[in-house]
Amino acid sequence: MERATSAPQTPGESPAACAPPRVKVVGVSKTFPTPDGGVARVIENVDLTLAEGEFLSIVGPSGCGKSTMLRLISGLTPVSEGRIVVAGREVTEPPPGVGFMFQRDTLLPWATVSENISIALELNGTPPAARPARIAELLKLLGLERYADYRPSAISGGMRQRAALGRLLAYGPELYLMDEPFGALDAMTKMILGRELLRIWSQDAKSVVFVTHDIEEAVGLSDRVIVMEGPPGRIKSEYRIDLPRPRDFRAVRLLPEFRDLCERIWGDIGRHSEAE
Amino acid sequence: MSAETDVRPARPFLSPAKVRLWFDRLLVFVLSVGAWYVVANTILDPFWISSPELVAERLWRITLNGDLWWHSSATVWQALLGLALGLVVGFGFGLLLARYPRLAEALDPYIMGLYSLPRIALAPLFILWFGIGLLSKVMMAFSFVVFIFLLNTMQGLKEVDRDHIDLMRSMRASPAFIARRVQLPAMLPWLFAAARISVGLALIGSVLGELLGANRGLGWYVEHASGRLDTTGVFAGLTALMIIAVLMNQAVNLLERWLTPAK
Repeated sequence: MERATSAPQTPGESPAACAPPRVKVVGVSKTFPTPDGGVARVIENVDLTLAEGEFLSIVGPSGCGKSTMLRLISGLTPVSEGRIVVAGREVTEPPPGVGFMFQRDTLLPWATVSENISIALELNGTPPAARPARIAELLKLLGLERYADYRPSAISGGMRQRAALGRLLAYGPELYLMDEPFGALDAMTKMILGRELLRIWSQDAKSVVFVTHDIEEAVGLSDRVIVMEGPPGRIKSEYRIDLPRPRDFRAVRLLPEFRDLCERIWGDIGRHSEAE
Repeated sequence: MSAETDVRPARPFLSPAKVRLWFDRLLVFVLSVGAWYVVANTILDPFWISSPELVAERLWRITLNGDLWWHSSATVWQALLGLALGLVVGFGFGLLLARYPRLAEALDPYIMGLYSLPRIALAPLFILWFGIGLLSKVMMAFSFVVFIFLLNTMQGLKEVDRDHIDLMRSMRASPAFIARRVQLPAMLPWLFAAARISVGLALIGSVLGELLGANRGLGWYVEHASGRLDTTGVFAGLTALMIIAVLMNQAVNLLERWLTPAK
């Protein structure tokens, strides 16, 4: 493998580098009222830009506000100060074309795998007649054909998360917001699903904001990694990941540059912890 | 999907566990009725506790002459109307209170206060307000079950998984879509739990209404029999009530199995 030097925010056949950013976060802060009547500052003055087709990861210790950041971008939680623009429109409610994936699979327990995926098709306006074919296609893509009629409780955690990914893909968003989607999985499943995510992403080149506490996962997947510290959550540093694309999620870990990047990011977070 | 890739075990109609369960239940029946039979035929006069064969004979007779149907249909009908009214009002009011938490908190002590009123003390008022016909019994049954549906609706709505709602919101689902596809299915187990408790309570309400003023119904039959020191009649009426309660509970279970797929 040879090292790629080109601008990493336009991977694959992603179009024009001059396209407007998919997400723009300007001076955003978030406060929550605390039970004792005070105010907790969870996010403090964050600026960040996500280019079209870019894969961005946010890492940081737990409680640093990275999940909150994702909820703010998704419009599920309103900002307290500053503004967030997604696809040119200021976010005041969940914007169109944004898919969210949680650490928990959040599949409806009373619905089968197919039915769970079907709900996303219903919500994005896919006509009923076109749904079965699309569902079958996604089940095949994710290796879930056998489990189409299973309820979530009857399949493994990895399969459930695959189904949740299927639902996300079915919705067909332009922006994926993923909150530690593989965080609850065992190491092996995590590796396999990370690899599939990379494979799928390299084909459709959507924009992704991926929150994780796993630095190797972040470096392996992303074009750029942002390190957050907090509370209150701030951006501490930013790393451009110039590892070659397309990447093999596992093999890329053998590159010295990969090790080097992980070490530097770890050093960053480590210093932060020592400072406490 | 081919049959051999399907790893779910087929559920036989009569599994060994089910056979054993029914055997155990039958055993409890035989033992308790047997004990009753022995006591009634040895140490106690059937005047006090009647006896299984006398009760069976009475039930058979009132089944044939139509009395059983005449009385039990009234009791069941009143209970069902009370249940339906309790479901509609309790569910609707529960949704309203869940929507307006401030109202819910203001009303909370009053609801709990009303809930703990002894209904038997209200019975004379109910007769005054609603007469001695059908309505007073329906309202009596209603007064027992409405709180169960109200409280379970509120609790069930509270227990709906926030992440499920957020996920739907992130896909721009309307509140009506979320209510229909997420909240209602998530609440069904709570509503069925309420229904299961309410079946027994609605029957109690219906019978209580009859005890206080009626010319029909199993409550009236029991009251009438006890007035004539007809222990067998009392036991026959109570037995019929028990059978009806079990059957109605089974109906709720069947409805639940039909409406909520196995998790």
